[in-house]
Amino acid sequence: MIRWSDLPLCLRVAWREMRAIGHSYSVLLVLVGGVLVYGLLYNYTYAPNVVHDVPVAVVDYSCSSLSRQYVRWLDATPEAAVTYEVSDMDAAKQLMTQGEVFGILYLPDDFETLFYEGRQAIYPFYASTDAFLNYESLEKANLQVMEAMDGEYRTQLLPLLSLQGLAAVATQSPVTVVGTALYNPTEGYGIYLIPSVLMIIIFQTLMMLVAMMTGSECRERRLRPYARLHRNRWSIALSLVWGKSLTYGVLYAVFAFFLTGLLPLFFDIPHAASGISLVVLMVPYILSTSFLGLALSRWYTDPEAPILLIAFFSIGLIFLSGVSFPLELMPWYWRAVHCIIPAAPALLAYVKLSAMEASLCDVFPELMALCVQMVLYGVWAVYAYRLRGLSPSS
Amino acid sequence: MLRNRNFFAMVESPLLGRGRGETSSPFLRELHRMTSRRIYIGAAVVLPLFLIGFMATIFGSGQMEHIPVGVVDADNTSASREVVRSVSAVPTLDVRHHYADDMAARAAVQRKEIYGYLSIPSNFEADMVRGNGVTLNYYYHYALLAVGGEVMSAFEQALLPVRMAPIVVEAVTLGATEEGIETFLLPMTSDDHALYNPSLNYSVYLTLPIFYIMFQILVLLVTLYAIGIEGKEGTGRAWLEAADGNILRAVMGKLLPYTVLFVAEALLANVVFFRFVNIPFAGDMGLFSLLCVLFVIATQSVAVLLYALLPVLSFVISIVSMVGSLGATLSGLTFPLPAMSPIVQYAALLFPVRHFTVAMQQMVYFDGGFTSCYLSLAVLCLFPLIALLLLPRLRRILIRRRYDTLE
Repeated sequence: MIRWSDLPLCLRVAWREMRAIGHSYSVLLVLVGGVLVYGLLYNYTYAPNVVHDVPVAVVDYSCSSLSRQYVRWLDATPEAAVTYEVSDMDAAKQLMTQGEVFGILYLPDDFETLFYEGRQAIYPFYASTDAFLNYESLEKANLQVMEAMDGEYRTQLLPLLSLQGLAAVATQSPVTVVGTALYNPTEGYGIYLIPSVLMIIIFQTLMMLVAMMTGSECRERRLRPYARLHRNRWSIALSLVWGKSLTYGVLYAVFAFFLTGLLPLFFDIPHAASGISLVVLMVPYILSTSFLGLALSRWYTDPEAPILLIAFFSIGLIFLSGVSFPLELMPWYWRAVHCIIPAAPALLAYVKLSAMEASLCDVFPELMALCVQMVLYGVWAVYAYRLRGLSPSS
Repeated sequence: MLRNRNFFAMVESPLLGRGRGETSSPFLRELHRMTSRRIYIGAAVVLPLFLIGFMATIFGSGQMEHIPVGVVDADNTSASREVVRSVSAVPTLDVRHHYADDMAARAAVQRKEIYGYLSIPSNFEADMVRGNGVTLNYYYHYALLAVGGEVMSAFEQALLPVRMAPIVVEAVTLGATEEGIETFLLPMTSDDHALYNPSLNYSVYLTLPIFYIMFQILVLLVTLYAIGIEGKEGTGRAWLEAADGNILRAVMGKLLPYTVLFVAEALLANVVFFRFVNIPFAGDMGLFSLLCVLFVIATQSVAVLLYALLPVLSFVISIVSMVGSLGATLSGLTFPLPAMSPIVQYAALLFPVRHFTVAMQQMVYFDGGFTSCYLSLAVLCLFPLIALLLLPRLRRILIRRRYDTLE
């Protein structure tokens, strides 16, 4: 029969922590709501994945068979949809201002005439930049239609071409340029963003969990019994940090499995990472996050106040991680901050593993950063706990 | 008389050590509470100022330029070098490395050293001169979609003249005019215009809206905390008594200091962004300021409303901390809202930040005046009215204190 007091201190701490989590509705709410609901919700909102049929208004002054063909083909692209054909530019602008359309195609009255006279028919295409995804879709669609139209109708211009030109066209062929998108076969937005969001969810909810637990622990002075133990203060602090991190680690092993293992399968987002590489990534990530939270807990005096700060930083972290705006173009100080927050390197490493089919060797720098953080924050957390509740006077 | 005495009691209370809640003005009482705890100063003053600095600097120049890319030149002829030169000439791209083969380049993309590469096949020049079709392949990193998109359009732009080069060169050599052959090859040419943000500057695109999205999370949380902590610490009745039992006065008095603070910070942010970060704004500054005021008030009202519905601080604050960042998704800023499912589109209407974004884009992009955004302004005014309906419930909660012990 093993007695309670015979167990190592860190296991007793871990058990107490688990019980405390189970008894706090608000913590359970963060775990269930944050991890399960949030994970599902994000996947659901970004499920459409790609932008298609972006509305375009057409101002067709040419009213020719050529211009009609252009409009038909533009409408036929998956990216654009011609939703309005209006009689003048003012009406088209009005539609754009109202948010009804995101692009305007203007075909001037001499569009067809210029073409058949063998002169270049230049026409303007306007696209709004209030959402870059819409702009990029429209730009791509218009370029494709332009190339297709040029290819289709070019032969009609052969009689107008000089003899030398004809010889050149007959003997030479154009260079084909093919662009290939790597690591994102559907070219979808959800596929790009969701892996990052999943990693941020792990970081944010774990930081919140630590903050809520340590905040209420401080308010209810739950560290007092430990201070009365007749043991080295440092070893008590070490047991506290290890015991708590053990609990968080066990819980987050399950959540990380759900978020990065199961959800990607359900929602068809990239899941190329092998189980082992995920484990290798998650262990330092969860531990360094937990240690960071525990180290910061020195300043937490109630369970709610720190949540204000943690919630605030979640969106900023996406930017700091460098998945949207490249790290290389940020000022040096934000790149430095990128290196000290566990979420940023972990997020990059996860994107590399899951979407880019990278091996563990390819994420070595990120893993090293996480391991260094784990050690440093671990030491800091023990030091913080030594200072926090365990000074002999308390 | 009674009120006067209480007023002085409050003013002197830091010296005399009198308890809070002795004043009859909820406004002064809140000022006292605000200055007595670090979290209020931190969350309502330091964080917004930090946020202004963060958003003003995170995008660097805002321009996606000098993105590192690589080249695999298996041909090493003057023609292939010409192609490489035309790629290096594009400001978006910076040809950092030359790789021996595609494998090496692909591995570099994997390590994220480069965001894309161009592959020139061997015999490129020879095939081109002979008139055999040649293919140039370029690859771009699309797991990082924002950068990948830029790299793609930069490659397209750089390689456009290369496409028709063999025919043009041959025709000109034979004696045809360059204009004649180019007209034949590209008889219809689109002239693309990126409206409102022609250089596709990320700072112009994201700085302002992301600031307000993150700001609304703070407004929501600070408001919830300021109200909820009264319930949690059991001072709800004292708060109500300070307002002579009038819940409307109590709430307004409590929130007014924050409203003033948040509005001042929003206006400061506007000055910083429009003056120093050089985000173009040609609309009516007064109207935009009004929009910011309404946005702050509407967001505070949502916080009051949520607390009245779920009067347990720790519950509601953890829910809101997560719902708040959904605002980034539902504002439709990055992934356009119309492309999402209808349920999500309707849900977005419940967030003040969505209406704010719509009105803001009207003003910033389209120089829209009152007529173009009155609907969003009107909806923002609705949020406080809905919160008003729930004030009686809030009063009952403060008096009965049934939820104070829940955790």
